[in-house]
Amino acid sequence: MNLDLTAEEQAFRAEARTWLRDHLPADERPPEGTEMREFDLAWQRTLFDGGWAGINWPTEYGGRGLSDIQQMIWYEEFAKADPPFTLNNSCTFVGNNHGGPTLMVNGDDAQKAAHLPRILRGEVVWCQGFSEPGAGSDLAGLSTKAVIDGDELVVTGQKTWTSYAHVADVQELLVRTDPDAPKHKGISWVICDMASPGIEIREIETMSHVTDFCEVFYDEVRIPLSNVVGDINNGWKVAMSTLGFERGTAFMADQVELAATVERLIEEARHRTGPDGRRPAIADDEIARRLATARAEVAALRAMTIAGISRTARTGVPGPEGSMIRLFHGELHQRVYRLALDIVGPDALRLTPVDGEGVWTGPYLQSFAYTIGGGTTDIQRNIVGERVLGLPRQ
Amino acid sequence: MDLLPTDEQSEIVATVRTQLDRDFSLNELAALDGADTVISAELWGRCAELGWFGLGLAEADGGVGYTLVEEALLFEEVGAHATPGPFLATVLAAHVAAIAGDEPLVGQVLSGERRVAFAEPEPAPGADPVVGPTVSGTFRVTDFGGAELALVLHGRHAAVVELGTPGLIPVPSLDQLVPLATVALDTAALCSAEDRSISLRATVLVAAELAGIARATAEQSTEYAKVREQFGRPVGSFQALKHRCADMAVRADAAVNLARLAALAVVAGHDDARFQAESARVMAANAALENAQVNVQNHGGIGFTLEHTAHRYVTRAQVRARTAGTPFDHLAALLAATSPA
Repeated sequence: MNLDLTAEEQAFRAEARTWLRDHLPADERPPEGTEMREFDLAWQRTLFDGGWAGINWPTEYGGRGLSDIQQMIWYEEFAKADPPFTLNNSCTFVGNNHGGPTLMVNGDDAQKAAHLPRILRGEVVWCQGFSEPGAGSDLAGLSTKAVIDGDELVVTGQKTWTSYAHVADVQELLVRTDPDAPKHKGISWVICDMASPGIEIREIETMSHVTDFCEVFYDEVRIPLSNVVGDINNGWKVAMSTLGFERGTAFMADQVELAATVERLIEEARHRTGPDGRRPAIADDEIARRLATARAEVAALRAMTIAGISRTARTGVPGPEGSMIRLFHGELHQRVYRLALDIVGPDALRLTPVDGEGVWTGPYLQSFAYTIGGGTTDIQRNIVGERVLGLPRQ
Repeated sequence: MDLLPTDEQSEIVATVRTQLDRDFSLNELAALDGADTVISAELWGRCAELGWFGLGLAEADGGVGYTLVEEALLFEEVGAHATPGPFLATVLAAHVAAIAGDEPLVGQVLSGERRVAFAEPEPAPGADPVVGPTVSGTFRVTDFGGAELALVLHGRHAAVVELGTPGLIPVPSLDQLVPLATVALDTAALCSAEDRSISLRATVLVAAELAGIARATAEQSTEYAKVREQFGRPVGSFQALKHRCADMAVRADAAVNLARLAALAVVAGHDDARFQAESARVMAANAALENAQVNVQNHGGIGFTLEHTAHRYVTRAQVRARTAGTPFDHLAALLAATSPA
């Protein structure tokens, strides 16, 4: 056990800090559409050119081959640099955090060569096609079908809750390739070109007034068989590794940002008028204790993240313990923004965007995604109960 | 950076577990419920022989030469086993004596020859306790039976005093294995220290003990949920129980990892040591109290009996959450600390 940073890690931190100071965009992120996509991709290209893309990706895939600890240091420095946008909302999230990593573990050489460099270079936006109207928590019950026709799959069906489908180039898509097999055995994980004929995308407005949430319809969409990742009908296993990344390390940036958010909130509480209408909010005992508790909780989140990194460093892949962090993080994220609304007084009634400086109500509304996306907290509890604790399945 | 114990640390933990399982059976100790002395001199001497009280004290000071990190691992196990005894007072007294340069006293405490009770000011309106070269005021004392000395703690001030039996007023204790008394003191200390390292150490060690309680109660519930059958199947297959067990495991994981991180931050002398220690204390107290309570619930009727050990964790969590400061003290200290973020 140690908290030591190696000389290399310390140098990395200093280098990151300097670079961020010089390169962080001053502009706020456009909230939607092509402008948003271009902003996110431009930032990814800036990262790539500066050598900060794929920090913990292996060098053979164009990454820097550094440790998860260094990735965490990068996120810490990013959060400290007071950025005008959050990494978690970027449309490069899926490619960087679970699409790409899934290919690294399960993809063949051609798939890796075709996609991984493009993700890092900011040339491509990935999205996720997992959930369906009839397959949410019961993901393996998905029914979007794919029929083999020569050297192609012909896909027909519907996906939903697909963030950024309307600006995406590529999708990690789960389809049923064997309708007669047990439900976990007939699924394939495929790379879908979003420009393929037969794809129709409809935007769904979320409760946080964002329209990048989409449903995707497939009408005999043809996908080359060579786009199947990790063998036909083996997609459940591949999907589990995707979800392992999504539940494990993908939210590290957000977890680090949350610590900075709590500190910003404490500053707000010093300056905002509190519940008694006279003193600052922080002079209120209940608010002070909730803020202190929030500090303790983000500190615990960081400790859990470091422990998770320590475990992964020994085993190579994130284990089911990632669900413990994801569960704790999702609920904590929601608690922090609910507390924020109790601190910001009249601003609690004024709608803001979900991203930007000094915004609270937008992120509060957006926080509900944190206990639903990537598996609801109920599903995370099942995973912790069954796969971490070994309790019997229902 | 690595938060998993090294092989050597795992070995220490394994040794501690073996000893606690063998010599500190809660069901046997239950015979001493309400007694003034719970741990016999002989048993305390055996802990001393294993070097437990000086784990984090330098070899030059007569200790084993590890650090607060290993002490915290010991306390996590003490918490997990709901082990009674003046572990905190003893470890802190040895450190205070070492800081004060009182070598003979260090030796007497580490060998178990002189037992040390734990004392801190009993809050009362107008009370103005003094803890330093002289100690005065009204104090609450735990584990007083068999103790010649008391470690008195008040924020960053700590002192070791003689504990005369006259004047001690035993009171019924919520935790039947943590003997409780009050005492009015007005005496010169044998030694004293005003050093933030003492309050940081106390904060981290109590956090570690509470984290151990959170961990053990999570494990106890999970094991029970696997074997207890109702409606023809293990109750752990029902989501109501499964989800409670999952939440307990998350609370325990948060508390344990943060307590370990805090110990490391203190040892490394990091700027955020206070922040991490207070955070650990807050998380661990919440986790221990919540898990201990839910653990009783998960056991149903048997969990409500005196015979079952579930209630031991409830009362121990309540006592430890108020040892070396209250939850309110620590929340205030945390909000006043410097954040690393």
